[in-house]
Amino acid sequence: MATQVDNTASSGAGRVAPPSFWSGVWQNHAPGYLFLLPWLIGFLGLTIGPILTSFYLSFTHFDLLTAPRWAGLDNYMRMFTNDPKFAASMRVTFVFVIFSVPLKLAFALGVALLLNRGMKGLPLYRALFYLPSLLGASVAIAILWRQMFAGNGLVNQVLANFGIQGPSWISNPNTSLWTLIILAVWQFGSPMIIFLAGLRQIPQDMYEAASLDGASKWRQFWKITLPMLTPVVFFNAIIQTIEAFKSFTPSFIISGGTGGPINSTLFYTLYLYNEAFGFFRMGYASALAWVLLAIVALFTAFSFLSSKYWVHYDD
Amino acid sequence: MTVVTGSSPTRKKIMSIIAHVLLIGASIVMLYPLLWLMASSFRPENEIFTSGVSVLPSPNWSIDSYIRGWNGLRVGFGQLFINSFVISILSVIGNVIACSLAAYAFARLEFAGRRFWFAMMLMTLMLPYQVTLIPQYVFFLNLGWVNTILPLVVPKFLAADAFFIFLMVQFFRGLPKELDEAARMDGAGPWRIYWKIILPLSTPVLATAAIFTFIWTWDDFFGPLIYLSDLRQYTVMLGLRTFTDNTGMSDYGGMFAMSVLSLVPIFVFFLLFQRLLIEGIATTGMKR
Repeated sequence: MATQVDNTASSGAGRVAPPSFWSGVWQNHAPGYLFLLPWLIGFLGLTIGPILTSFYLSFTHFDLLTAPRWAGLDNYMRMFTNDPKFAASMRVTFVFVIFSVPLKLAFALGVALLLNRGMKGLPLYRALFYLPSLLGASVAIAILWRQMFAGNGLVNQVLANFGIQGPSWISNPNTSLWTLIILAVWQFGSPMIIFLAGLRQIPQDMYEAASLDGASKWRQFWKITLPMLTPVVFFNAIIQTIEAFKSFTPSFIISGGTGGPINSTLFYTLYLYNEAFGFFRMGYASALAWVLLAIVALFTAFSFLSSKYWVHYDD
Repeated sequence: MTVVTGSSPTRKKIMSIIAHVLLIGASIVMLYPLLWLMASSFRPENEIFTSGVSVLPSPNWSIDSYIRGWNGLRVGFGQLFINSFVISILSVIGNVIACSLAAYAFARLEFAGRRFWFAMMLMTLMLPYQVTLIPQYVFFLNLGWVNTILPLVVPKFLAADAFFIFLMVQFFRGLPKELDEAARMDGAGPWRIYWKIILPLSTPVLATAAIFTFIWTWDDFFGPLIYLSDLRQYTVMLGLRTFTDNTGMSDYGGMFAMSVLSLVPIFVFFLLFQRLLIEGIATTGMKR
């Protein structure tokens, strides 16, 4: 609960000089720290402490019941030299990120451009397209997806109407991951909203000047819209990529927790969960978590460094 | 609007019709699975897979699936709904209080180390939760909190959802500083300014944080999966998954019916507050 702050502890503006140095420090800095206290306790106790602890645990064997045993680099060695499941889950996760994020952003941008023509019914369309983003993370939607892409499911019934015999998407290792990619792309609503807000920031007179110069719509898109929109593309790409790396629930529900068939939907997070809470290999799971952190950190750093060359910020 | 050269009114009309056709087509494809789920949940069990791709209500519609699903677990789904509501509402209270306190400090108060802590807070936005997961679990296990809702709720009262701090800082910074100054001249301390000026003016951002917290907590599967093992403590999402495992995907009707019910609270929020949600996303997405 929030702590009551003494009302007399004002910031000292227009008051008599404080009697001593320390009471001045107290008057100036205490209110800030009192307001920050709940977050600070959480940050130190639930974030920083656990980060350091999991770094230590990643160099141990730890089964939750007995004390951690020092293992040196064993966990990391096993991961990179002798763990086919680790390699499989890396591959699955990277395929998922590489296909789902660009497709999602392409749909989001395409629909945002269509909606940005000042058309009637914009709020309705915007809301309809946003709905899947809002519902998409839930177990219910994953269950629906599992049915839709089953051998006798909705998708194959639609295809049958066109005389196409569809595969059993979920149980075929060549197509199972694509059902999850489609589910991710279906949720293009939130990046679309951010794109729409970005498109509205572009000054209209730039387009007017360009069309007076005889530039085609196509040329205007490449020369004005896209460059002006790069900060928003950048923001969306980072957020969606990190989200994609963390995705868990759909693969868990659709594969029944196994990541099958033949590890074809074994997301990295699902593998980590099974190692930690299925086999109680907590040390190994901590090492997996640190590798995930390294990947996300490298990706973020690389994005920010490369952004100098393609993201345009007008000052 | 200025008339753009090189496009006649007729061409504009045709373009607009094409855009509408594309958008309506896309809407149908997007919403079709949801409509099918809805329609199937009201069909008699023997019609679910014989009615093909239809999303029209069955002439023999019934609520049998809802009755079967509601009683499909040893514990009625009613209990699960109560559990989910309790966790979600406590999370809303925690997030709104703790995040607004921190955001006020970051946005309005001067103190040593403010920029450093703010940078730390932004770092946590990028942090995958798996990195803190296992030590947190061990910590809560030692406290005896596993199989209670405490690990799911208490972190919210410690502002663990840094995203909302960020959202509120953006909003508070947009409020005129003169208000604080005037109140300080009248002798108001930081607590009074926060309570009497900042919070009352911030209802839009507080509501946005509250709604998103509710929806995300309601939807959360990973947290309850790890911390709750007693069926009587289960949330709706956990119950749904158990239901599908127990019935081995045989009771489709019951499963669809409970899936629909689990989405109802989110859908209600969407209908009531969609403008607020959409603005919330648009503003945080834009400001850096």
